Amino acid sequence: MAALLRGLRAGRTLRGLCSVVSAPPAANPQCSGLTRGIHCAALRLQDESKSDKPPPSSSSTTHHEHYQTHSAEQASTSDPAAEEASRPNTSYQDQSGEQGEEYETEEQLQVRILNAALEFVPLHGWSMEAIAAGAETLDLSSASTGMFYNGAGDLVLHFVSHCNSQLTEILAEQHKQVQLGQAEQKRTADFLRDAVETRLRMHIPYIESWPQAMSILLLPHNIPNSLKHLSTLVDDIWFYAGDRSTDMNWYTKRAALTGIYNTTELVMVQDSSTDFQDTWNFLDNRIQDVVNMAGTAKQVQSTGEAVVQGLMGAAFTLKNLTGLNQKR
Amino acid sequence: MAASMRLLVRRAIRLTHRNINVTTAGASGQTGCCCFSDAAGDRSTHFGFETVPETEKAKRVYKVFENVAQKYDVMNDAMSLGVHRLWKDMLLHVMHPQPGVRLLDVAGGTGDIAFRFLEYVRSQQERQRRRATRSMQTPSWQDISDNYSNENGEESKESRAVVCDINKEMLKVGKQKADSMGMGTGLSWVVGDAEELPFDDNQFDIYSIAFGIRNVTHIEQALQEALRVLKPGGRFMCLEFSKVTNPVLARLYDAYSFQMIPVLGEVIAGDWKSYQYLVESIRKFPDQEEFKGMIEDAGFYCVQYYNLTGGVVALHSGFKL
Repeated sequence: MAALLRGLRAGRTLRGLCSVVSAPPAANPQCSGLTRGIHCAALRLQDESKSDKPPPSSSSTTHHEHYQTHSAEQASTSDPAAEEASRPNTSYQDQSGEQGEEYETEEQLQVRILNAALEFVPLHGWSMEAIAAGAETLDLSSASTGMFYNGAGDLVLHFVSHCNSQLTEILAEQHKQVQLGQAEQKRTADFLRDAVETRLRMHIPYIESWPQAMSILLLPHNIPNSLKHLSTLVDDIWFYAGDRSTDMNWYTKRAALTGIYNTTELVMVQDSSTDFQDTWNFLDNRIQDVVNMAGTAKQVQSTGEAVVQGLMGAAFTLKNLTGLNQKR
Repeated sequence: MAASMRLLVRRAIRLTHRNINVTTAGASGQTGCCCFSDAAGDRSTHFGFETVPETEKAKRVYKVFENVAQKYDVMNDAMSLGVHRLWKDMLLHVMHPQPGVRLLDVAGGTGDIAFRFLEYVRSQQERQRRRATRSMQTPSWQDISDNYSNENGEESKESRAVVCDINKEMLKVGKQKADSMGMGTGLSWVVGDAEELPFDDNQFDIYSIAFGIRNVTHIEQALQEALRVLKPGGRFMCLEFSKVTNPVLARLYDAYSFQMIPVLGEVIAGDWKSYQYLVESIRKFPDQEEFKGMIEDAGFYCVQYYNLTGGVVALHSGFKL
């Protein structure tokens, strides 16, 4: 069975290559052998599906992408099933009571459950109860929460990645505006400030329970994922701020922004001023600090060079005066 | 249309794989069920290491459990040295039932899983109630009156467990246990065949079957029935003996199974043959991966299994989505 699957996957990648090199094999009349026969049938089906849906709606294109890249996605989910790779679709019309809900894969269903669960977070906190309540709004039994092996961690990580992708969209939109000349390019400090503020404002609906979420993100088995999300967030912000550095600056800039983001987040959870004004002031000050430090660093470097040159000159003069530099 | 064609192709792939398995796996003889031999008339299946006609298997299994019903729990403790309690606790832990769910425990005879389920849910509800009262240290009159009206609504969140078994003797023993433990509320005892459950569609949140599915004549049918009675989003959980992966452990396990267990059966329960059947039926049951494939074929998603005690017992879980 594993060999069959490997053959199918190999066939899929080959087909990808073939479509680039030559015309796609629409029909394979001579298929000998059981394995190749099934393989050919699968190919024919894929072609059929492509021709069947000429105006692709968003759901079907994602479905097709899922079909192609499902093996890559396996690593991100908790499904160890190898057979799932050849079955990206969940229920069709043959499953009773699910008509009208066209989710394509289990991952998408899980995403829908988690999105529905976010509403219940103010009531139940970041916990399995919130996920169960979310599942129930989708008419699924609360037993389906068993799909989330990481429990509350799944919910928090989903929310974090959702916020990050929202921020990336906003930044990309702003970037496009600047490219089209409809908006002005902001200064780096202002850009960073606005980006961090936008991102942190997404926490406001859940600010009461955000300390619980932060502690969940710090659990040892969640740390790799939360660090990954944080690093992609910071990288995205710097990229859209226009940073194209390739030296040590790449690391220092991201480290600085990570520090700013984390400390501002901590200030935000205990901020009680109106509209979190204290937090934004804190953010301003921190960014100002970093900007000052960058300026100071440059000054220190040039001052240092000047001082060294001065000392060298003084030493040379001293040598001349004491007569050690005589060359007779 | 293309979508359903794809489903058909996948089924075809799996069927052909099964065909290859049946025709080439003559040496191991692990997959004893010959569903692909000639149709009609007397199909035979395995009863332990014997081959019997399918119609007879159910009767003989019934007789086995009729004989062992009285000493079932004692024998479980003796044979597994008490570890079966840990296995069942693990099942509940993985199940992690939320308050208000309905459980169907098939082949649940003496009710071990159902009892544990009710205890788990009740202790969770206790904890929630305690947490709620702790956060309301000084309730106002409004809060107190709200609490009174809430308590009437609590009844609808009561969890219920239904124990279903084909064997009346096992259910009788289970009912006696329930009465002696004082766990009357929330339990129902129903006689039914796992291949043809006497319940409507979409009734239960969780379907569990612990150490029972290997006694079913047509496992695929039992899986189909499980799919039918589960609500959308419901979970199928199966605890069953399976293949030990470690070769050293496997040899010890085989020696223990074939030498010790029938002897224990004779000494404690006075029944050698039933426990011989038990040990043989374990060997005839498909292994973890194959059973997982069968569950997926029946239409469950997100199927996963956990090996307990090195593979002696496997806990399979699937969802109806």
